[in-house]
Amino acid sequence: MKSISRIYFFLIASIVAAVIYLYYGVSTTNIKLIKNLENIFVIQAGNFAENIEQEIKKHTDQDKRLYDLLKENEDVRKELEHTLSALVTPSFKYVYVLYRDEKGKYRYLLDGSKEDKGSFNQKLDVDKQKWNRCYETKKDQVLMQNNLEGLWITYLKPVVWGSGVEGVIAIDFSTRLPSTIAQATRPLENIFFYIFAAMGILVLILLYQTILSIRTKKESIIDPLTSTYNRNFLRSFLKSINPAKYQIMMLDIDHFKKINDNFGHKAGDLVLREVASVIKSQLREKDHIIRFGGEEFLIFLHKQNKECTAAENISKRLKESIEKRTFTYENTPIHITVSIGITSNPEHFKSVPDAIKRADEMLYIAKREGRNRIIFDNPDKEAHVSEKKTISEVKEALEENRIVCHYQPIVDIKTGDVVKYEALVRMIDKDGKTLLPYLFLESIAYTNIYTDLTKRVLTIVFDQIKLHHLPISINMNISDILDNKIFTIIVDEIEENIQLAKWLVIELLENEHISSVESMRERLSKLKSYGVKIAIDDFGSGFSNFSIFQNLPIDILKIDGSLIKDLDSSKISYSITESITHFAKKLEIESVAEFIHSEEILHIVKDMGIKEGQGFYLGKPSDTIKPEKSGLKQASEISA
Amino acid sequence: MKKLLLFLMAAIFLSASPVDKERSIYRTILNAIFPDKEVIHVWLDNPKKRAIFEKIKRVEVVNDHKRADILILYNSFDVPADNKIIFADGYLVFEHFKNRLVGGFYWQKGRPNLVFIKKNLKDHNISLPPTLKEYIEDDM
Repeated sequence: MKSISRIYFFLIASIVAAVIYLYYGVSTTNIKLIKNLENIFVIQAGNFAENIEQEIKKHTDQDKRLYDLLKENEDVRKELEHTLSALVTPSFKYVYVLYRDEKGKYRYLLDGSKEDKGSFNQKLDVDKQKWNRCYETKKDQVLMQNNLEGLWITYLKPVVWGSGVEGVIAIDFSTRLPSTIAQATRPLENIFFYIFAAMGILVLILLYQTILSIRTKKESIIDPLTSTYNRNFLRSFLKSINPAKYQIMMLDIDHFKKINDNFGHKAGDLVLREVASVIKSQLREKDHIIRFGGEEFLIFLHKQNKECTAAENISKRLKESIEKRTFTYENTPIHITVSIGITSNPEHFKSVPDAIKRADEMLYIAKREGRNRIIFDNPDKEAHVSEKKTISEVKEALEENRIVCHYQPIVDIKTGDVVKYEALVRMIDKDGKTLLPYLFLESIAYTNIYTDLTKRVLTIVFDQIKLHHLPISINMNISDILDNKIFTIIVDEIEENIQLAKWLVIELLENEHISSVESMRERLSKLKSYGVKIAIDDFGSGFSNFSIFQNLPIDILKIDGSLIKDLDSSKISYSITESITHFAKKLEIESVAEFIHSEEILHIVKDMGIKEGQGFYLGKPSDTIKPEKSGLKQASEISA
Repeated sequence: MKKLLLFLMAAIFLSASPVDKERSIYRTILNAIFPDKEVIHVWLDNPKKRAIFEKIKRVEVVNDHKRADILILYNSFDVPADNKIIFADGYLVFEHFKNRLVGGFYWQKGRPNLVFIKKNLKDHNISLPPTLKEYIEDDM
């Protein structure tokens, strides 16, 4: 595209240069032509003057002074003037002879002019300095008459009489002559005038088009509502960006839908405009703000150096400014908060879109953790960033059946029998390497691929249940149950395997805030109506709250591994675990201890009265279900 | 800088209109004829030429020739017989009144011509400055 523009520029420049050169050439030729014509007329005047001189000499006696001769002989004067008048034409306007008197004034001897005729001995004021040259040099003179009206050139020829000059023959050229010559070349000048005029118009049109194009381009990259950049800008910005010079911030207005629902879209638009204005007021000249989605803003913060803390400072300022501000719509105050996700070092990612995605993931975490917060990406995990799989890679794995489940046994601690399995999703990469979920789940969050993957896991699990008739649990986020699309898939899968539903356990991950308890209870109750059991996973960490048992129909409580693994060394972990176990017994909820990694831990758990356990000591995850024996059973058999 | 100034002056002179040139000539003539008069009363036979004289310092154009110090004739061949100073503008008027007038200004062959008549200047006791002496004619 750039090369085409260059060719156009080169072509236009060449045409302009050619026209200017041609104009210069024609002008030079024109000047030469005028000069040559002028010379022709001057030569002609010289010839006339020569003839006049001869004619004067023929009619007079050179022994006497010319003045005396003509003064005495009026007839000769008349005859000579008649001869002179024959030479007068529109081009040679005046033909006359002057002499210089003793006072240096010039006076008429003869005048053949048809108008402005002077009489004998009458004074004529001329440029004496120039006329005197004729007397001094006895040579012809050509005077350019720039300052005389109607005259162009005066040709002077001295009438040499013996050794002296007796008078000066003068022929005045009319200014008609140069204008006649100029008229001859005027059509050519006109052509160039029109060419230049056309070129001038063309340049103006081009200028107008360029301005129009710049304006259109500017409009195409600006979001009309918030006056921030839009995705069109982002596309071109990504082509030129140096990721090392920026930190990426993704900002989203919390519960924006509620503003639209409660106050109408106009209120929503007002909030968007005002928020954009607040963000812009906090940014610096080199920062860029882009309206990324409906209520989502992507911000590129310029990094002065590697240790730059701009993102931290600006994000805090932004969060606080927006939280403190009261947005007023039709006299109604509206208070909002924002969630922010930040990628501190975009240069560590494969591409800038990956870094943006990372900021989006951090935003998602901020939302999941209760909103109105800022989440920075964890630098510890950055080492794994390059290993993370993209959406297309996960999609490909799904299509090629490289999404599988590994199964970890859950054991009855008293008997050592495997009572159920926990299905753990894995992806097999193209090299046959098994990948853990954090390497491929984050990239597909909120995408259709995530939904497809959920469906695939459910299918695999039901196939295994069908095969082994054993309870198998799968992990789900609270947001998965609340997501209409995913919940529909879960229900569809269960209904397709209605006879096997009683062996399915759904483990809810304890890492999310429940945005709608009512809806959650309703949906879990529906799942339970098919015989599905609900477990709460990682209890004792994250959002653990005992009230969850009051609001949701929970069957199983899985005690978080971080508590179990330290039971032999931490009194606090022991006390918390004991309390949770006591609480579960009271509510008649099954309890499962996770992360049993040694015999000592197993004994403590057993002594506490926890019925079931899970952990590497009892059985590692395996790609197949081997329901024969647990590690505990095998150990006890060996010791027996 | 000096060259630029000269160029500008030349440009102003060359671009001066014929009226400006004529005004400049008359300023010189009137100042030469009446060097000591505070106000020079001028009578014109051509009202169209008033503009030329009205802008000359010390000059007042009068309608009554009796009040005038000088009569400037463009096209009159019949003037009051009183002994006023007469100046001709145009060759034909100059020729007609050359026995009475102090001088004349006219264009001939595209050139401005100025003539003062010695005898008539003397009659009016006018002495011209040296710069105009070369335009004085002894005999016409």
